[in-house]
Amino acid sequence: MSSRSGRFGIAAAALLAAPVLVGALYAAAGALGLVGPGASGRPSLARAVRVLTEPTVVQGTLWILWVAGASTLLSGTVAGGIAVVLRGRGKLEGLGRGLAVLPLPVPHLVAAVGGLLVLGQSGLLARVGFHAGLIDGPAEMPALVYDPLGVGLILALTWKEVPFLTLVAVSVLGTRGDALERTARGLGAGAGDVFRRVTWPILWRGMLPAAVAVFTFVAGSYEAAVILAPSDPLPLPVLTWERFVDAGLARRADAYVLALLGLGIAAVAVAAHEIVRARLPGLDGGSQA
Amino acid sequence: MGFLIRLPEVARLGGCAAGLLAMALAGCGSDSESGLDASTLAGLPWDSVVERARGSEVVWRLWRGDPAINSYVDEWVAPRLAERYDIRLRAVDGQGAELVNALVVEREAGARGGADLLWINGQTFHNLRREDLLQGPWAHALPSAAFVDSASTIVMRDFEQDLEGYESPWGRVQFALIYDTLRTPTPPRTVEELGRWIDEHPGRFTHDQSFTGMTFLKTLMYARAGGVERFEGGFDEDAYRVGRDSVFSWIEAHRDDFWREGNVYPSGVADLHRLFANGEVDFSMSNNENEAVTKARQGVLPESARPLVLREGTIANAHYVGIPFNAPNPAGAMVVADFLLSPEAQLEKRRPEVWGDGTVLDLDRLPDRWRARFDAIEDGPRAVPRDTLARYAVPEVAPEYHERLQEDWRRHVRDGG
Repeated sequence: MSSRSGRFGIAAAALLAAPVLVGALYAAAGALGLVGPGASGRPSLARAVRVLTEPTVVQGTLWILWVAGASTLLSGTVAGGIAVVLRGRGKLEGLGRGLAVLPLPVPHLVAAVGGLLVLGQSGLLARVGFHAGLIDGPAEMPALVYDPLGVGLILALTWKEVPFLTLVAVSVLGTRGDALERTARGLGAGAGDVFRRVTWPILWRGMLPAAVAVFTFVAGSYEAAVILAPSDPLPLPVLTWERFVDAGLARRADAYVLALLGLGIAAVAVAAHEIVRARLPGLDGGSQA
Repeated sequence: MGFLIRLPEVARLGGCAAGLLAMALAGCGSDSESGLDASTLAGLPWDSVVERARGSEVVWRLWRGDPAINSYVDEWVAPRLAERYDIRLRAVDGQGAELVNALVVEREAGARGGADLLWINGQTFHNLRREDLLQGPWAHALPSAAFVDSASTIVMRDFEQDLEGYESPWGRVQFALIYDTLRTPTPPRTVEELGRWIDEHPGRFTHDQSFTGMTFLKTLMYARAGGVERFEGGFDEDAYRVGRDSVFSWIEAHRDDFWREGNVYPSGVADLHRLFANGEVDFSMSNNENEAVTKARQGVLPESARPLVLREGTIANAHYVGIPFNAPNPAGAMVVADFLLSPEAQLEKRRPEVWGDGTVLDLDRLPDRWRARFDAIEDGPRAVPRDTLARYAVPEVAPEYHERLQEDWRRHVRDGG
């Protein structure tokens, strides 16, 4: 990269980051009690300590991390599987890939409402179960929405994220996989060895940045969580909004602390990805061969 | 020193950016374009206010979650304002605490105001007044203010706060439970009966986490802790604690028989309506006694849905419009507020097939032809009779009760569940 193009890249990245950085700066000032309603003007960590040690906040954070992790893992696995199975150039594979990415333009909000209509205790599944004589009423339908494990939310988010990760996985295999797999087969490797030693490493390493993006998105996503998540524990993004619009003006500064916590989770995920990328050989594509 | 930025400047910069991000403001500036504020305009002849408003745009920030209300505002109010005053009314979404947050950020950023008129009441009015984010007094200067039911404490006291001309009454509602006559032909009529009904029908009752649910809990508080009189006259810590404990003991006594054993609560009343309409629970609730009828008409609730007023009394309150401190067009906002208060607009809003929102006008002060038209409104057999509503109406109390009850319910019931 030339120094000129490097400077251009840094400027473009700074432009993208500026609103986040300024917002984070303002949130930090609010969290420290320097700005906002009820601000004392003297910096104090008392609010941050109180908020971050609240059981509600700890549980809500762990819960959304579980949902984000499970959704990412599940959607990554499904997308990887689809990419491996449907990577051929035949019409049927093309049709399959097209169908798999069909939910891509569906907004997350719509996916969540769809999840509610299908998985709710009076939803489509429950109605089918009722007509099939499997249940006698809504209460007998297993709770898949507002449930403590977040099954409905995880399924809705997985359905929504699979197309994006499928596109990435197909692209990764298409651009990096074919030649290496042919070489491996030419050197006498069996199908199992080719998958284990070539296809799988290319796939997961190539999908890792997209998976990190999905994880951070889900961890900070409000619209699906507010529709499908339980009220206890309240997921971090929903809790953040609840504090932000609290009737008590002074409690609204809690939201600044929680927003910074959400930002911190995203930053840690991205940093972890960078560390993994730097330490594992061959992550930048092709050199592992 | 060029790289050193003082903290207030950082805050101002941050506030501006946050405002830009959160509200898509047009930009950061320091001065409003209003010229005269609402309190000054209130001292001018009304014709002069109307002339200043003519040809302008009024941005009204209000809750946009109900198609019936949206239709009334967009398809009935807006065209008449355009026709009579050449005012372009632009209704944008925003409610409650969001309004306060937006104005606080705008003030910190020195930003141009994003709205001319706000739909407010209760805690929002309390916070806006406390933060000095409203213009006023001005509401007394509206010609239609002469028709307002000034003898009603429900209209003239917003959660026990004097209006002081900083907000103009717009509508009046009363809390009601909603039940289905086919599923529950003999519904409970008192808090005690409701508790027994819940125990006899496990999993068929809940309330939501939002304003409506908290109003239900306040109804319980009045009923179980000595009536509304005990809580009137400003916030009292001792009275609150007694009231709160009585509410929580009622909840604990019946919680295992709540929907999902009381471990989950719908986030808002729209979710509760959905659970009710889909047969997951047998009761919903609303802050508007006519909502059972209007929502049934819209197909959201079953045709057999009916409102139910508990005999211990249910909370009645009013809602208002206010003008934010940085409104670019206070003259336009005042003309819109006056039109909303006019007998014509109040009558249209009152019709059950339109919105069913109660009027804040004293019908005895209206010219005969308008009073006759109000009297001619047919609520239909599904609505609670007006004399029944009046008999069981109890007022709101200081906003701190709502605020504290919500905070404690979240901490001890929801999050501690």
